[in-house]
Amino acid sequence: MALVNLERVWKSYKKGRDHVEVLNDISFRANSRDFVALMGPSGSGKTTMLNLIGGLDRPTSGVVTVNDLVLNNLSSGKLARWRSESIGFVFQFYNLLPVFSARQNVELPLLLTKLGRKQRKKNAALALDIVGLSDRARHTPARLSGGQQQRVAIARAIVADPKILVCDEPTGDLDRSTAIEILRLLQVLNQEHDKTIIMVTHDPKAAEYAKRTMLLDKGKLVSSLLQPKVGAEAEA
Amino acid sequence: MTTFGFLIKSMFRRKLLVSLSMLSLTTAFLLFILLRSVAVLFSGDFASVSDVRMQTASKYAIILLLPHSYGEEIAAVEGVRDITFASWFGGVFKEGDDSAMTFAVDPSTYFEVHENYQISSEHLDAFLELRTAAVAPEAIMDRYDLEVGQKVPVTSSIFPTANGEPWTFDLVGTYSSKNEVEADYLPFLFHYEYLKEATGVSDVGWYTFTIEDPEKASEIAQIIDSKFENTADATKTMTESEAMKNWMSQIGDIGLMMNGIIGAVFFTMLLLTANTMIHSYRQRIPDLAVLKTLGFSNNKVAGIMLFESLLFCTTSAAVGIGVATLALNGIGPFLPVGFVLAVTGPTLIWGASIALGLGLVIGLVPAISANRLVIVNALHTK
Repeated sequence: MALVNLERVWKSYKKGRDHVEVLNDISFRANSRDFVALMGPSGSGKTTMLNLIGGLDRPTSGVVTVNDLVLNNLSSGKLARWRSESIGFVFQFYNLLPVFSARQNVELPLLLTKLGRKQRKKNAALALDIVGLSDRARHTPARLSGGQQQRVAIARAIVADPKILVCDEPTGDLDRSTAIEILRLLQVLNQEHDKTIIMVTHDPKAAEYAKRTMLLDKGKLVSSLLQPKVGAEAEA
Repeated sequence: MTTFGFLIKSMFRRKLLVSLSMLSLTTAFLLFILLRSVAVLFSGDFASVSDVRMQTASKYAIILLLPHSYGEEIAAVEGVRDITFASWFGGVFKEGDDSAMTFAVDPSTYFEVHENYQISSEHLDAFLELRTAAVAPEAIMDRYDLEVGQKVPVTSSIFPTANGEPWTFDLVGTYSSKNEVEADYLPFLFHYEYLKEATGVSDVGWYTFTIEDPEKASEIAQIIDSKFENTADATKTMTESEAMKNWMSQIGDIGLMMNGIIGAVFFTMLLLTANTMIHSYRQRIPDLAVLKTLGFSNNKVAGIMLFESLLFCTTSAAVGIGVATLALNGIGPFLPVGFVLAVTGPTLIWGASIALGLGLVIGLVPAISANRLVIVNALHTK
């Protein structure tokens, strides 16, 4: 059974008087430890598909199943709880809360758990250590570079130990060398920490770090390719 | 980081804006307590005054005197138990100071009618014995540093002496009230006979009497007032609590004015604070969307907004009330004796209720909006 399974999924919404079809009859599977890059032109439905997988949005029709759980029928409260336990999110613009330090930002998802204060602090420190930012734990986002902020965002995404990471253009705001660092970090999380990663990107170079790439166009999946090994995987 | 720490830090996201807004609200609560205390004083909301004791005074103004003969006629009315009288003297104990409550009374009956007053038999005997004797309550003793046994010089603009010198009373004792609240409103008492002898005045300020059945108060009042209705000295009889309110209302409906000002202050604050909270909410839409993405439920995010609003208002209220209490304690010694401004229990309850109500009202719109926030739309709001 696939970890992520989209079965004949449609998504449409109203824009003024128009009815916009964003996803047309999409079926998609991702197995555990998969690393999938979703590519396609703007407006092809990549982010919408990612939002459905992450439980941020609901399909108009079709079934979204993640880890044997059908997300369609979950109440917003249960969906929120499920997101906190099962999914880590990484955004293009990091979306860190500006008043909190790096460690506090990483600790945020743990406030929803039953962990005690000390344990939360310990877990956040561990997550920051994994992304190589232990020495920046007390810094607020404003005092961190773009790459460092994205590492903090990744630490926040993994701190509750979810099986799946959904990443929306994680390198879209970064220069090439920093982007490569982030992509290598994602590869490490995929290969060494068994995270299943679904990443939206415009960048073919970034997509090369995934195990396979899915192409979307006008709301339809048009092709799927396996990638040659790059980055940390190739070096290994 | 604790959940509370998270909430506090979120609240003070814009430190200057939030601090200034809190300062404004703190000032509003400070004003509320000060004005409300004044309003309470002038509304005559005295817990100590009695409905068993009644008072007959001039129908037109409390400063107008009534004939001494009225006393016997009032005492003869069925249902009237004990009767006494008093005259307003308007004594000034210290040059440049305001007059303190000073009454010329009949010592032999005054304490019988005012059963709530406590005086030792020793002090009462001394008071009865000497025509120039006087007794003072603790508040006046403390205020003017008086001691039993000393002579007390007092001037009066209502009853000046022939040679312009102060009156001199022999302070023979002190008295108090069973009711603590009333203790601050007690007058300095001296012999009416002494006043009569020195000035030739034979009329009295008002009559105070007790009745057997408080339910017959209005009936008795009607009988007494109708007796003197067509005379030059028409009377107005009422229970002591009504009399106190009536006396206060002659100064002006200050309570109404104060409540009006309080209302205006809070209405303005409601608008200002609501504006701050809505502005803060709008700025935080992307952050709230992030929290929802991370797994904070709609209700939790709404709760954060509501909590912030309540914390904002209750903290401001607590500081405002605290400062006001200190301020009232500070200005107390500079007020005329008998004028006690204090934070009463009902005022505190009002303050707390307003803080909670304000917090709920101004937090409701941001909380509902946060609850309904659609993550995928809000994440990209800048």
